[in-house]
Amino acid sequence: MSKKIGDVILDLQNISLRFGGVKALTDISFDVREHEIRSIIGPNGAGKSSMLNVINGVYHPQDGKIFWHGQERRKMEPHMAAQQNIARTFQNIALFKGMSVLDNIMTGRITKMKSNFIEHALWFGRAKNEELEHRRKVEEVIDFLEIQHIRKTPVGRLPYGLQKRVELGRALAAEPSMLLLDEPMAGMNVEEKQDMCRFILDVNDQFGTTIVLIEHDMGVVMDISDRVVVLDYGKKIGDGLPDDVKNNEDVIRAYLGAGH
Amino acid sequence: MLYREAGQFKTTYAADQQLFPIRQDRIGVITLLLIAFIGVPLFASEYWFSAILIPFLIFFLAALGLNILTGYAGQLSLGSAAFMAVGAYAAYNFQLRIEGIPILISFLCGGLTAAAVGILFGLPSLRIKGFYLAVATLAAQFFIVWCLTKFPWLSNNSSSGVISTQQLIIFGHELKTPTEKYLLVLSIVVVLALAAKNLVRSSTGRAWMAVRDMDVAASVIGIRLMPTKLLAFAISSFYCGVAGALYAFCYLGSVEPDGFSLDMSFKILFMIIIGGVGSIMGSFLGAAFILLLPILLDVLLPFFAGLFGLPFSSATVSHIQILIFGALIMFFLIVEPHGLARLWQITKEKLRLWPFPH
Repeated sequence: MSKKIGDVILDLQNISLRFGGVKALTDISFDVREHEIRSIIGPNGAGKSSMLNVINGVYHPQDGKIFWHGQERRKMEPHMAAQQNIARTFQNIALFKGMSVLDNIMTGRITKMKSNFIEHALWFGRAKNEELEHRRKVEEVIDFLEIQHIRKTPVGRLPYGLQKRVELGRALAAEPSMLLLDEPMAGMNVEEKQDMCRFILDVNDQFGTTIVLIEHDMGVVMDISDRVVVLDYGKKIGDGLPDDVKNNEDVIRAYLGAGH
Repeated sequence: MLYREAGQFKTTYAADQQLFPIRQDRIGVITLLLIAFIGVPLFASEYWFSAILIPFLIFFLAALGLNILTGYAGQLSLGSAAFMAVGAYAAYNFQLRIEGIPILISFLCGGLTAAAVGILFGLPSLRIKGFYLAVATLAAQFFIVWCLTKFPWLSNNSSSGVISTQQLIIFGHELKTPTEKYLLVLSIVVVLALAAKNLVRSSTGRAWMAVRDMDVAASVIGIRLMPTKLLAFAISSFYCGVAGALYAFCYLGSVEPDGFSLDMSFKILFMIIIGGVGSIMGSFLGAAFILLLPILLDVLLPFFAGLFGLPFSSATVSHIQILIFGALIMFFLIVEPHGLARLWQITKEKLRLWPFPH
């Protein structure tokens, strides 16, 4: 691949996260470079989703430091991650079921809207202009994801694969510099997976978005990732290029069990 | 055939985002407004205004307020009647204690006071959800009614907290007849309903619905939960407060705290459940169903009884009326759990295709 991978933008150092007595993450360190596709893999319950929740501020680790663009990050709330241009999708689809596709994706741009509720009530001046301006951006996302035909459909009526795509659209609408994808291809058939891979690669390629990806499909992970980190029981057991990870003894043991 | 949007092409986003994108809807709304503003005052009798239309519009406004909170922002509330009481008593006090304050400003201040109280009782929503929140708002219901009875200052030292509202003077003209009061209520309700429609199609409304549908995802997107929920409480209470002020000034003329009881809160809640949660049309249809249907049955039942020569006493008629009313509520909820607004929407979708099935 000819793309240029930049400097480290997210550096996690010795992260530990506990829920009561349960150790979800223990002393994990890894970094993410600008413009790369960084995958996190591991068996079920390894702490992958917890890791993403730490990155975007839903969980607060008890120990460890997080550096975002070289600055140490203090305790933060989830909405602050959005302001720092980190967007994400969820393992279980977390769309707003009662709203149309268009409204869901429009919601992704909410941090960029400046008008207040009084202007909204009067539908006057800035509120109206903003609505039009952001609609244009949202239509670009809709074009990119090829979902023009369903823009007015309530998301609850869509099939699973399309819902996943809309959720990606909602994240993309925020024009994030970093995109966290939590199992974007779970439960999809081969065609849907291929589409999703294409979208992820295009996002990375065209917009230069850094992507942190959790995925169980090893074929996909090994194909599209620049670097892979492997977790097992909340510990890091491997980190490096896809080929290195594939041949790592610990990783093989975690996936296939001891004795192989 | 009549209701079809074929040929209505949208060439700009502005055209696609207007209030009523379908031409027939626009015509329908304008016709309805013309009838309400011009046709009804020409033909309706005094009884119609003071006993049917004015309370209907006021409860539509209150139901709209509750629908913003419960239907759009997903926060269940049982305190709507209490917020109406705050609006009524606040408007009364502003009118009483500030020399020469215009009545409309009093209504506005009544609404704003209710909004402030609404924010206060909305604070528990930051920690609790659903039925538990409903219980917290129930506290508002009892506390506010108790407060209004307990502190005589609020009702200008009248016995048991009864207030008699001041004259309605707008631009030096006193509104006395039911027709004039009706037009005042109608104007306020139309303006506020349009504002609500604008709110729910803007990013304010999207933030509310996002919090309602999936609050974790909403916060990850960058929606701050606390201001969003409290804004919903404030605006909802503002609507209820204005409705309360109108209820006191334009409908009854004299109210007591116990008039704003839990029963009334439930009535408003039933309106939005039957009409449609999360729909402005739903508030309208729900208020119509709950308020107008009993009146209609009152008129129809003796008529049919007379037609078949059945010797119904008036007591029997009122029992049967309650029976039929309850049965109709269940019937509509079973046919369409999402309310009358959804039925209306389905009808419109069918009409677009009619006479073809697809």
